[in-house]
Amino acid sequence: MFVSIVSYGLAVGAVYALIGITYNVMFSASRVFSFTAGMLGMLGGVLGALFINKMGMNAVLAFMLVLACGAAMGIVTEILTVRPVLKSIEQHLYVLSTLAFALMIQQVTAIEYNTEPQPFPVLFPIDPNSWLGIVDQKFWLPVLACIVTILGLEFLYRRTLIGRAFLAIAEDSYAARALGLPETRLRMASYAIAGVIGALAGFTGAQMLLAFIGNQAILNFYGFVPVALGGMGSNRGAVIGGIALGLFQQAANFLVGGIFASVAVFAVFIVVLLLRPEGLAGAATARRV
Amino acid sequence: MPISRRQVLAGSAVSAAALASGFPAPAIAQNEPIKIGYLPALTGPSSSTGVGINRGVQLGIEEINNSGGVNGRKLELISRDTQSDPTKAVNAVAELTQRAKVSMIFGPVNSGEALAATPLIARDKVPMMHPCWVDELIDVKKYPMAYRIAPTNTQVGAGANYYVVDVLKLKKVAVISDTTGYGTASVNTYVPMLKTKGAEVVYQNHIDAANPDLKPEMLRMQAAGAQAIMPWSVNAGFLSRICNTRGAMGWDVPIVGQTTLGSGQTKALLEKPEYWNKVYSNNFRQVCYANGKLPARAQEFVERLKKSKIEMGDTLLWWIALGWDSAQMMANVFKAAGTKNDDIVAYMNKVKDWPGVYGTVTWTPEQHNGFPDSEVVMCEVNSLKDGAFNLAPGYSA
Amino acid sequence: MTDAASPITTAKAPAGLLGRLEGSWSWIALGLVGLLLPLLDDSYFGVIAQRAYIYWILSAGLNLVVGYAGQIAIGWVAMLTLGAYTTAALAAGRVGGVEWHPYLALIAGGAMGAVFGVIVGLPALRLRTFYFAMTTLGFATIVTQVALAWKDVTGGGVGTPGPVFPWPFEPGWGFYYFCFILAALATWITANIGSSRYGRALVAIRDAEVAAEASGIAKPKLLILVFLLAGGLGGIAGGLFSSLQSYITPDAFTFEMSVLFFIGILIGGRGSILGPLLGTIILTVLPEFAAPLVQWSTFLYAALLLVIVLVIPGGIADLLDYKNRRPLEQHREIVPRPELLSRVLDANGEPSAIRLTGIALHFGGVRAIDGLDLEIRSGEVHGLIGPNGSGKTTTLNVISGYYRPNTGTMKLNSADLPFDKPHARAHYRIARTFQTPRLVGAASVLENVMIGGTVRGHGTFAESMLSLPRHHRDEKQLKDAAMQALATVGLESLANARADRLQHSELRFMEIARGLMLRPAFLLLDEPAAGLSAEEIRRLGALIKAISREGTGVLLVEHHADLIFDICDRVTVLNLGKVLAAGTPAEIRSHREVVSAYLGA
Repeated sequence: MFVSIVSYGLAVGAVYALIGITYNVMFSASRVFSFTAGMLGMLGGVLGALFINKMGMNAVLAFMLVLACGAAMGIVTEILTVRPVLKSIEQHLYVLSTLAFALMIQQVTAIEYNTEPQPFPVLFPIDPNSWLGIVDQKFWLPVLACIVTILGLEFLYRRTLIGRAFLAIAEDSYAARALGLPETRLRMASYAIAGVIGALAGFTGAQMLLAFIGNQAILNFYGFVPVALGGMGSNRGAVIGGIALGLFQQAANFLVGGIFASVAVFAVFIVVLLLRPEGLAGAATARRV
Repeated sequence: MPISRRQVLAGSAVSAAALASGFPAPAIAQNEPIKIGYLPALTGPSSSTGVGINRGVQLGIEEINNSGGVNGRKLELISRDTQSDPTKAVNAVAELTQRAKVSMIFGPVNSGEALAATPLIARDKVPMMHPCWVDELIDVKKYPMAYRIAPTNTQVGAGANYYVVDVLKLKKVAVISDTTGYGTASVNTYVPMLKTKGAEVVYQNHIDAANPDLKPEMLRMQAAGAQAIMPWSVNAGFLSRICNTRGAMGWDVPIVGQTTLGSGQTKALLEKPEYWNKVYSNNFRQVCYANGKLPARAQEFVERLKKSKIEMGDTLLWWIALGWDSAQMMANVFKAAGTKNDDIVAYMNKVKDWPGVYGTVTWTPEQHNGFPDSEVVMCEVNSLKDGAFNLAPGYSA
Repeated sequence: MTDAASPITTAKAPAGLLGRLEGSWSWIALGLVGLLLPLLDDSYFGVIAQRAYIYWILSAGLNLVVGYAGQIAIGWVAMLTLGAYTTAALAAGRVGGVEWHPYLALIAGGAMGAVFGVIVGLPALRLRTFYFAMTTLGFATIVTQVALAWKDVTGGGVGTPGPVFPWPFEPGWGFYYFCFILAALATWITANIGSSRYGRALVAIRDAEVAAEASGIAKPKLLILVFLLAGGLGGIAGGLFSSLQSYITPDAFTFEMSVLFFIGILIGGRGSILGPLLGTIILTVLPEFAAPLVQWSTFLYAALLLVIVLVIPGGIADLLDYKNRRPLEQHREIVPRPELLSRVLDANGEPSAIRLTGIALHFGGVRAIDGLDLEIRSGEVHGLIGPNGSGKTTTLNVISGYYRPNTGTMKLNSADLPFDKPHARAHYRIARTFQTPRLVGAASVLENVMIGGTVRGHGTFAESMLSLPRHHRDEKQLKDAAMQALATVGLESLANARADRLQHSELRFMEIARGLMLRPAFLLLDEPAAGLSAEEIRRLGALIKAISREGTGVLLVEHHADLIFDICDRVTVLNLGKVLAAGTPAEIRSHREVVSAYLGA
């Protein structure tokens, strides 16, 4: 039982963490929380299943294509729903524009693809009896994806020039612009990266979560919980929060089960937020005058 | 062809004028089509049942009209997609009863919308026929003009309970469902029934169908000593996870429950084909293979479907049969009793052993549930072929 | 202020954003259509109309939350669910075995909605927008889950029958009129709130929260009242919904429905009543007459929302607002009339002073203010100058309560002036303006100025809701005072123009007029001359000087040295958060360090 809690909790926690990072990458570039994070996760699974199962594509090719679609979706999100409302950010119109866009994509998927969960193929033909098959790939794939993402982002932000430019924008966009950084292009690039990460989360988690439009709402909520708990913009917080959420949720499933598990997650979310609106690890934000 | 709203609206002016002048003159009535209100859920979530039934309804109406209609009058199907949404169903009922003045209503398919639609249809005194299983829909005092051409949830549960307790001789049972209205209601009804039968319900729970990992639940069932799992849900993802988890755990217990266990959707989501072994779903004796053969009526019906090129592989035979039977039944009623509601009720109250493809229907003034207990059976889901299954082992042919 | 006969105060009633009746003929037309619809004797229309009325009753309340206060409550369908189940369960005798009278059960449904409206709304006081949206969504999910699980009361998945209301509102046209009357009532109540000082305060919270605080608007108290009202209306709508549906099951309360309410309001336009009403009607009726599109309806709603947000953020209301398309006069001049100040300000105030002693404030390692002493006396203009980053605005923010210093004391006369609590400053009659003008762009100039006087009203929220005499008295007084203030700063001809159509310099004067609404004992001005022409600066200087001569203490943070030396009685020069020099303008002018470091030679 313990093994089941840990293996499953880690796997689903990794998916939540990746969606949390998707939220964060978009937030850092634009101070905007976007409802499209869950949509990207949903699309990762649905497009993967579509490319491999329905169109008979090779898994590697499909994977690359899914990530490319994620990036494209990220760029569209930025151009269509974020950039036009950034100038009046204090009116929070981005909440509405991203919600509208996410709903549109979800509805198109429902009508053109399927409203019911669809199977997602096993990606690696590993003999379950060999040592590699000890832990099912549906469990380790998302964890691997999460580790790779974290290392990749760490490398990008610390070791590359463009990554430092991202950090500069996140720190202070006025100053960054004053330094001559191409803020708009960098923001678009951030959204593309977020798109890739979201699609990656969906793709690697889909053997577990299936290719299902309902995942959009689930990932939107459960992917946001780690951000809220870990403090916005903090990827470390998102990973710790995501894994903690996955384990907590799974433990609650074991201990109380049924709908009370989801009620428990929601209750913890609300209580923590009310006690510490800036998150468990976050710092209080500056004043607005 | 389903009739579009535009056509209905265009036609309504004529019929409103006719009705305003009292009962239509017989001469006009001779030519006027008989209107049937139809409330399928053809799009949106849980629409696969509606789509299956719709194939049968459309075929049935088409056949009747092609052979000259009923007493020289065509049947006009006024259909409105409810998308399983109770609010859309309520709007549609007002339109069908008040605007289109239909003679009878067939549907809705899903529980929430049927529960909301039924009292309103009863208020407008329009006879109706239910394909939906929810027990509460039939009440001769509250809804004297409502009839059911399908089994009740109680009958369906009793069929599964009978199979587990009396045929498989298992006494320790786990009963679970998803958190939908249908699922929770089913568990709450079936658990006491199992207990009266002398079975021990060692585990019961409602599980969030979105929860991708059912291992905790299954381990708890196993620890409780369950010898059979009875899941109640129309969610293929949820049901397939139960089969997959059982397979991965190497736990050799039968799964006995809802018809969706045997749907193509569930099959597609199995990790291995053999995870579908020892899974038994509800089905109906008249549309199941016994010793490799369908009953005569069903066999004839399947050939008719093949001739009309009706797709069967992606749906279930009993859905199509239910739709087709309903069309035949309504034509039958109009033929014998005309279109006045009291006449229709008087006739329907006396229908006895009507030989449908889906089931043998009998109604009385006191009992508007028409489906016989004996025809609710279980089938082997892994025998799925063209939408039909083999009877589960243990039934006499 | 007793001089009500003054020509300025008789200006015509404004028809800007908030008080907007949006052409009373449209209300009369809508009312007539509603009253006469039963003559068609088409129950199908009847059902659709009842549904529209019921949805509007909920949306009318939600409109105050979303459209006015700008709180993104996506999951408000939860109130409908709660109201529906409360009414249905009580009427059916599922609670305590007693069958409640349907009308009493409906009231209980409203009460339940009101209570939970506040519970769901509370996080909005602490959480940022997106977080709040998420919590309302989560709450809506939980309510449905509870409805499924709590079988004894809700009937679980099988649901429970809705009540049938007896005479005079029995099913059919009786119930139709019940819904119609309640919808009309909801419209009236929310329109009253919308056009009251509470409505203006809500919009200020939405568009200019900082200015709202400075005007003394207590966001928590106001929002709780609004959530109470919106929840109550949602609950009533739920009770009616359960009767219309005849039978309720958890699957009737979908997320799509919540989105429909929400989008209806935004299509209609934020800060309007008629717009969201039309939006709700359109979204309820449209799918009925576009059957082939039913499958795509959610997609179309979402697309509509996106278009609205991106292209016409003002929604339908903006399209209807033809008055504000008339061009404003091109070459306008701001001519303040300081002679009117005696009517605007209370001249009888005792001399007093704000004293800052040893104030220090660090942001991380940066010392924004480093041991500052400052005294602002009534009747004087005190200039605060210094290079960028020397702590001028920070000082102003400490005084007006936005920053809490790390050390030091701040006293008003002999009593402590509490740190933090910016909204409490209005009660000390300390007013301020902002470096970047904070305004409600969609509201008229007059309404923007009236926001400044919010704390001067006496009527309660309930009195405004029901349009009782005290509400009217407040409105008249505020309007008169605002017109006086506008005349004083020279903007009365623009009173009815939308504030976002004004030029930058005009906005600076508008902010001063808003500050004057508090009859301030102290007025803190943050770079009021920035962006003004030389002539405008001269007039501004005269106005500020005149304000101080009426007994008000003015703190003037400025870069324009000429203005400072012209009108200030005393000047403090800051550098790196410390006082570099303090004294009369003449002393400062000859201060060697100041001259070399700052003024330049």
